[in-house]
Amino acid sequence: MIEALNHAFSLRGLFWISVSIVSYIAALWVNRLCKGHPAAHPIVTTALLVSLGLYLTHTSVTAYQHAASLLYWLLGPITVALALPIYRQWQKLKHYGWRLLISIAFGGVLAPIGAWLTLFVLDAPRAMQFTMLAKSITTPLAMETSAQIGGIPALAAVFVIVTGVVGAIMATSMFSLFNVTNRQAQGIALGTVAHAVGTAKAIQMGEDVAAMATLGLCVNGIFTAVALPIVFGLFI
Amino acid sequence: MRNAINTVVGAVLVFTAYYVGLLIVNLTSLPVPGPLVGLLLLVGVLFAFPQTERQVARAVTFPLKHMSLLFVPAVLGVSIYWSDIKANALAIAIAIIITTSFCLGLTAWLTQALLNTKSTHKTQLNNINKNEGGTND
Repeated sequence: MIEALNHAFSLRGLFWISVSIVSYIAALWVNRLCKGHPAAHPIVTTALLVSLGLYLTHTSVTAYQHAASLLYWLLGPITVALALPIYRQWQKLKHYGWRLLISIAFGGVLAPIGAWLTLFVLDAPRAMQFTMLAKSITTPLAMETSAQIGGIPALAAVFVIVTGVVGAIMATSMFSLFNVTNRQAQGIALGTVAHAVGTAKAIQMGEDVAAMATLGLCVNGIFTAVALPIVFGLFI
Repeated sequence: MRNAINTVVGAVLVFTAYYVGLLIVNLTSLPVPGPLVGLLLLVGVLFAFPQTERQVARAVTFPLKHMSLLFVPAVLGVSIYWSDIKANALAIAIAIIITTSFCLGLTAWLTQALLNTKSTHKTQLNNINKNEGGTND
């Protein structure tokens, strides 16, 4: 932490952290302008703007990561902060009962296994296969978990975000293809498979959908993050 | 003033849970990430002392809403793996686009089928649908 703070309060650190924050604020504005379309998610725009800044100043990504290491370090504490939404959703889970647990477990197991199987069959590198297993859970948990099982955290962050964007874009047509009209079911699927980007989409669909999406995100996130390293520890 | 104190207390709880989690994983060499243990500890604290929910909420609601900003260094780091991604672009595209879409549909379909097995359950659902705001990455 001390090291990250030292970087942050150097001239370079202050500069690049400010660039990141300003880019993020611009990205929030772009997102509002696009009426919250999933492809205009703030992280996408922020990453593009910061890359542009790096390109214009001939700065390497490694130098940027060094300067902005405080942001990276904060991923740890923000993971801990997820305790609050999980605590709040846990109380609701009692009301909904076992049906939702089965649904979330189904989506939470099917999505990573499907993605892993694809990479396995198409013979992608092992590290990439393992990284794919964490793609359906919220970014900070996915990064920690993929590091634990021999995946690549940076790749996990990108896979997770792309998964979320794809899920949010495809949601409406998939729900009509599978003939799903139940709003609670739509919410659970969005949160479980497309984590927080899916939840953002669910918020647009209504409060009841959003509540279920948050529930799916929390329950799947915690179970995947606990189960993956243990399964890997036991069998691989 | 009271709000400020609550925010500080909440932040102290989060950071304490974070460091204790790291310490536990270091000492016991558990196979799970340290921050995850910290998260579970904080959930435990919230269950044991429900009055701390307000303080934690004051400290974490804003950072959670804007946590996307924290992913930027990691996401840009993916450029290091660019050649690996290019070499496996088709596999990655299929894995993400096809499986995500179908898992989304299948999960929603199963959930709907399960919820329909008990229609009284539905009225119960509608009574407790108050969103409490999620995360935003």
